[in-house]
Amino acid sequence: MRIESVEQLRKLEKKYRGETESHPVRVHICYGPGCLANGAQEIGDRFRKVIKEKKLKNFKVEAIKETGCHGFCERGPLVVLEPEGTFYTKVKVKDVEAIVEKSLGKSEIIESLLYTNPADDKKIQRYKDIPFYAHQKRIALRNLGQIDQTSLHDYIAAGGYQGLAKALTAMNPNKVIKEVELSGIRGRGGGGFATGRKWATCAKIESDVRYVVCNGDEGDPGAFMDRAIMEGDPHTVLEGMIICAYAVGSTQGYVYVRDEYPLAVVHLQKAIEDAEAVGLIGENILGTGFSFHIAISRGAGAFVCGESSALMRSVAGEVGEPRAKYIRSVVKGLKDKPTVLNNVETFACIPVILSEGGKAFSKIGTPKSTGTKAFSLVGKIENTGLIEVPMGTTLREIIYNIGGGIKDGKPFKAVQTGGPSGGCLPESKLDLPVDFDTLTEAGSMMGSGGMIVMDDATCVVDVARYFLSFLVEESCGKCVPCREGLYQLHQSAVRICEGKGTDDDLEIMQHLSDMIVIGSLCGLGTSGPNPFLSTIRYFRDEYEAHIKEKKCPAGVCTALITYIITDRCTGCLACIPACATDAITGKKGQVHQLAQDKCDRCGACYAVCKYDAIEIH
Amino acid sequence: MIKFTINGKLVQADQGDMLLTVIRREGIDVPSQCHHQAVEPSGACRLCMVEITRQEWDGWSKFVTSCLYPVEDGLMVTTHSAKVIQLRKTIIDLYLARHPNSTEIMRLASEYGVTRTTYETVADGDDCIMCGLCTRICAHMGFSAISTVGRGHDKEIAPPLKEAPTDCTGCLSCANNCPTNFIEFTRDSNSLTIWGRTFETLACSQCGKTTITRDFAEHLSKTRDIPIAYFEVCDDCHRKETAKTMGRVVNWTREVQA
Amino acid sequence: MNFRFVVNPEVCTGCRTCELACAFAHPHDGKPGKSRIYPIDGGFKELWVPVTCLQCDDAACVKSCLVDALKRNPVTGAIELNREMCVMCMACVAACPFGCALLDPGQDAVVKCDLCGGDPVCAHFCPTKALSYVPIEKKDRIAG
Repeated sequence: MRIESVEQLRKLEKKYRGETESHPVRVHICYGPGCLANGAQEIGDRFRKVIKEKKLKNFKVEAIKETGCHGFCERGPLVVLEPEGTFYTKVKVKDVEAIVEKSLGKSEIIESLLYTNPADDKKIQRYKDIPFYAHQKRIALRNLGQIDQTSLHDYIAAGGYQGLAKALTAMNPNKVIKEVELSGIRGRGGGGFATGRKWATCAKIESDVRYVVCNGDEGDPGAFMDRAIMEGDPHTVLEGMIICAYAVGSTQGYVYVRDEYPLAVVHLQKAIEDAEAVGLIGENILGTGFSFHIAISRGAGAFVCGESSALMRSVAGEVGEPRAKYIRSVVKGLKDKPTVLNNVETFACIPVILSEGGKAFSKIGTPKSTGTKAFSLVGKIENTGLIEVPMGTTLREIIYNIGGGIKDGKPFKAVQTGGPSGGCLPESKLDLPVDFDTLTEAGSMMGSGGMIVMDDATCVVDVARYFLSFLVEESCGKCVPCREGLYQLHQSAVRICEGKGTDDDLEIMQHLSDMIVIGSLCGLGTSGPNPFLSTIRYFRDEYEAHIKEKKCPAGVCTALITYIITDRCTGCLACIPACATDAITGKKGQVHQLAQDKCDRCGACYAVCKYDAIEIH
Repeated sequence: MIKFTINGKLVQADQGDMLLTVIRREGIDVPSQCHHQAVEPSGACRLCMVEITRQEWDGWSKFVTSCLYPVEDGLMVTTHSAKVIQLRKTIIDLYLARHPNSTEIMRLASEYGVTRTTYETVADGDDCIMCGLCTRICAHMGFSAISTVGRGHDKEIAPPLKEAPTDCTGCLSCANNCPTNFIEFTRDSNSLTIWGRTFETLACSQCGKTTITRDFAEHLSKTRDIPIAYFEVCDDCHRKETAKTMGRVVNWTREVQA
Repeated sequence: MNFRFVVNPEVCTGCRTCELACAFAHPHDGKPGKSRIYPIDGGFKELWVPVTCLQCDDAACVKSCLVDALKRNPVTGAIELNREMCVMCMACVAACPFGCALLDPGQDAVVKCDLCGGDPVCAHFCPTKALSYVPIEKKDRIAG
């Protein structure tokens, strides 16, 4: 069936919403990456089987929705009963029967599966009341957890493609661009360039062909915002792209997805096919005469291919190396044609900007960074997961109110934002409002939205070393400062971690970093030394401890620590078999001995000791 | 005509000219390793970076690779500012750590007064400085027989799958343009071997001197409409033939006139 | 193109002054370079032919160049080699049927006659005027 007009789309929305709401209760099973890994698929299968067996009167199998990521990955697998919003956490296959019998059959709530608020040990039934969700505002992630991942039916029922309908019928391309400019939205991929201005520039350039490309090459370690959107709500990305194409006058678009996201490829492919089948993509969209095609371009997962010029070369089938951009890609991009490249999350916000108006969007967040931003909150934090908050929310609010604070109540040490080339911010910066400019000023960056929280057992020198090693591997290797410079920077960091650092090292590293920043070809290189620069800025004493005192204060760098068995040892023998190098000897009931020459500092004894008898020095 | 200054001197250039071209035209020595007029500039070596500013920038300046920065009216270019020299020295220093045995790098280092590397010498560092000239020239000539492989510090130049490249014609342009002479090839009496593939070389039908490879000649003959027979005689013998042919004509006119 | 380079072997004595003139006109590194013109034995008694580039209309060297380093100078009519563009593939050396694209081993470069930019030095020095650079007559020009 083709949707021939906007009126028909509106009618369908009404009809589909009615169909969705006709289910007295809907089971939303989170099929996000985290929950899937924990067995969401089996839970879904079990639900269908049990429901079939029990022959529930009021419940149809269609009311089971395989939704995108709910965000609260820490508590997965998640099952939500809508419209009530009853939130079941850490659901296991064996719980399914009880849920069907009690919650679906008799509207009873299973207390044991509810979330317990650590603040007061009370159970919370609805997810909206859980602090993790209560402090969030979802725009880009609005449909995640609310609709069946790839269902066009559900997307339309949730008001999908209405932004496009409005753009195509009530606005000319110029007005669409004005609306986006009015919203103040800045690119969510990391650069933070004003999206409206980008579109306006592209639209103004004389050219027969223009391209719209969606950057789904999310490569930051620990980041999965774009993945969640592409997998859980692919239609919103497509809708954003179609609106953009209409605004700038493009007829061909590409979604660049890394092949490490196979599910995103499958879901996007299905979404494109479904949208094509009803005439939302292709020739004469919604009977308005506007045509636009979208193809998926699969990347091989090089981090550098998230950089715009490298991405475009990769889409064109060339080696994914950046080229120097004294001419911007919006002027001369894919196949040397004007190209709008936006990140997944940016495109996901566009339909909302169109349907709700740019002004409403601009009121969220701060004046210079409007709207909301999705973050993947990971590391040593209680509530790991996917979140979205208004710009300007402070790091403290994110980490403590939403994230629930540091794991096991340990002290906070640093938070790393902006992916590998971002930076580490210390406790003194916790009250910084998170937006593009303040983070950059503080020596970190917004990046695409990775947020890694570290506790006091994290050595920042080791963290810098790790991120540098990532960047050395992921540098495209084209220009010398990035390829050789980052390598040498990493070598220095390794030396310091191994206790071989000298006083000169820091000075050499600082100088080299400055040179890499001004000398590198693309953003990966110019931001490459950030792991070092931000840590030396806030944690110089820790570097000095490694170099001068040959000590790792956090007890991480194996070359600089020794394990010592103290008098607290009860002689329980537990550590002896744990030691792989047979360094520990001793008899039951007597304090054990640790031979330092045999110890390889793996920490296995430390982990098994129940009496805190082993200390790290 | 674009007017701007290089080191304070007013110069003129055509729209679309790159800074480096104009700088060199002015006789100023700015080093580069990855630049060749035949191919698009790439900006890989970063040695040709210069500092640019404008009146209205109010003292602010930035660093650009002159090989691919197009000339602009009113630009003020400094080719050897303190920071630029620092940057070049750092790059040379990094090169020196990676390619300690390269004579070209040593020449460059001594030119810039870098005597020893500040950094850790890279174990098993070879002489390939990853300028990418070979792959760009190969692609520009229409072969694309070799390309960069991998990424990061371990990136290298190789044919597809590191097997003998089927698209190579043995023209040797890669080896002939390698700034550090890293690309090796061997010659035999009637063959040459490069990138693990052996090519038959053509021998002059008259003196036996070897010329280009049969693959290259056939490629030129096919794509450029040049008779293959042209390639079967060497240039020396071609000149002798030309002299003989013209000699016959002249002699004939002599006889006719007599 | 108002001039034409004319070779008249009938008066060539094989003195090789042209060769010297060319080498000195194209020096490299302070030394004389490789000559682009060679008087060669024409195969008959007292017959020498100064062989140099004919600046062919449909030149094999130009066709063989895959990087467009060889281009005709519209003013002089000479096919000039842009050394900066040359990638040393030797295609032109192999392709020229008159053997007039040459490898200069001294500077590791390909060289060819460029008519000295419109004033061929060899013609100046040729004692017998076997080489001359003469204006093209009007009727020739129209015909050509």
